[in-house]
Amino acid sequence: MVKTKGTKLFIFIFLFIPLIHLLVFSYIPIITNIYLSFTSYNGVNPPKWVGFRNYERLFTDPQYIKLFRNCLWYMLAAIPQLVFAFILAVFVNGKFKGINFFKGVLIVPYLLNGVIISTIFIIFFNNSGTLNSILRAIGLGGLAQQWLHNLRLVNPAIASISIWRYYGLNFLMFFGGLQAIPAELYEAAAMDGCTKFKEIRYISIPSIVHILFINVLLSISGSIQVFEIPYIMMNGANGTATPVIQIQQSAFAEGRVGFAAALSILVFIIVVIAVSLQRMFDKKGDISA
Amino acid sequence: MINESKLYRVLRYVFLTAACMFVIIPIIPLVFMAFKTGTEYSSTSVLVPPKNWLNFYNFKYAIRVGNLGKALFNTAVILAISLTLQLMFTTMVSYVLHRFEFRGRKIIYTLFVLTMFIPVVTTQTVVFQIVYRMGLVNRMPSVILLYSGVNIVGIYIMFNQLNSIPKELDESALIDGASYFRIFGSIILPLMKPACTTLLIINGIGYYNDFYIPNLYLRKNVQTFTVALHKFFGNTATPFEIVAAAILLGIVPIMVVFLFLQRYIFYGLTGAVKS
Repeated sequence: MVKTKGTKLFIFIFLFIPLIHLLVFSYIPIITNIYLSFTSYNGVNPPKWVGFRNYERLFTDPQYIKLFRNCLWYMLAAIPQLVFAFILAVFVNGKFKGINFFKGVLIVPYLLNGVIISTIFIIFFNNSGTLNSILRAIGLGGLAQQWLHNLRLVNPAIASISIWRYYGLNFLMFFGGLQAIPAELYEAAAMDGCTKFKEIRYISIPSIVHILFINVLLSISGSIQVFEIPYIMMNGANGTATPVIQIQQSAFAEGRVGFAAALSILVFIIVVIAVSLQRMFDKKGDISA
Repeated sequence: MINESKLYRVLRYVFLTAACMFVIIPIIPLVFMAFKTGTEYSSTSVLVPPKNWLNFYNFKYAIRVGNLGKALFNTAVILAISLTLQLMFTTMVSYVLHRFEFRGRKIIYTLFVLTMFIPVVTTQTVVFQIVYRMGLVNRMPSVILLYSGVNIVGIYIMFNQLNSIPKELDESALIDGASYFRIFGSIILPLMKPACTTLLIINGIGYYNDFYIPNLYLRKNVQTFTVALHKFFGNTATPFEIVAAAILLGIVPIMVVFLFLQRYIFYGLTGAVKS
């Protein structure tokens, strides 16, 4: 662009506030957190250097290892979630009666907040709740459980809620990908006498395999940051605490800010790995001017 | 899409109907419960509809006790201010980074890109202290401040749009003597409306539904809609049919917005994926 005298001033004015915001609320905190993770800091007294002690506790104390183990349930739930979302996207991609109705209903869970979803699923998993009532009604009463009080079942139960909550986002991403496939490709296939199932197998799936990969990594980085559902439904009780619930507990209730910082940094590292892999795969990611 | 066999079309309806049931079934008992009386709630199965669909007692009680109207108003204020600020900053940053070559441009762009590696949940230990020292905890500006930052998804959405606006447009305006501010305000911004809609929809839904930030920063005095609903829920003294009514009321605003903006929401969300 043509340069005039005012250019520099203009650039400065437009970038100044957002840049300060970026530094104050993202970069300074994460760098400070790295420092704090090596200290015992209670939020009031000056931080005291303790080396790797916070990290040692995280890696050796079973109660903290369990936080990360709980995340594995959420990663596991992502598998049926992605399969379901993908099949939906394939079926919705096309022209048929009622398409808008189906799209409208299917997107509903994605629009609801964590408090609403938690309430819905407390009713769902309660002893006399939706799930047990349905099981009893269809003669499978033997399978009825205290879903939220059985220590073995509570984590898979609440992790499965994330399927209901988040498949819509995956569905939208797959759908967007399918819509971007040029129509000529399908037409050529149709002329060669390709069936719908072959078309899905040889055109649709290969075309959006990179979106699938992005979704897998998004699920991994989301699983490590799970907070709302176990916090609202269980308050982290019955062994449902996640790293983020523990960060909040340690930092704001127990005043163990140094420890919370170490836990934050661990979550941060996992997210960095997941997002880096995703960026490497997602070539569209580096649109530059 | 030409060769859809009959079998395929039948399969589609079967699967989509099943998927809708999967969505709707967990919600139905909540709807039933919100219209039941206390004794009805404790004596009937969750799968049984209420006797009287016109029993609005639970709703009236929920609105009065939960201060839901006030909370919804607070959320509206927070959304209006922070979305406006964010949109303003995002378009400004994107325009400058997209159209100008200057020293430090690469570094600044990279700084924005790298924020995608820093999840909000990993910085709050420190951010809370900063906000606390600014004296904003338990006051609305805390949340507004945290919401109005520029994020990289927003920049990508704007870049996508800017790619389609020819640079010659800016240049000819410049030659005609327009200032950069004027070019940005009267030429570029109006052309970026679709991208702005997309950003508003994505972050509007996100902020409206956010629980993490308001729950951390607004514990007393002011509360947002999600926090008010949560208070309800955390209070074990509240009869559960009242909670159900409050939650059902919580679904209403987003559904109303959705019905009016369905087309834009779908377009906006899939559009964001493409960029």
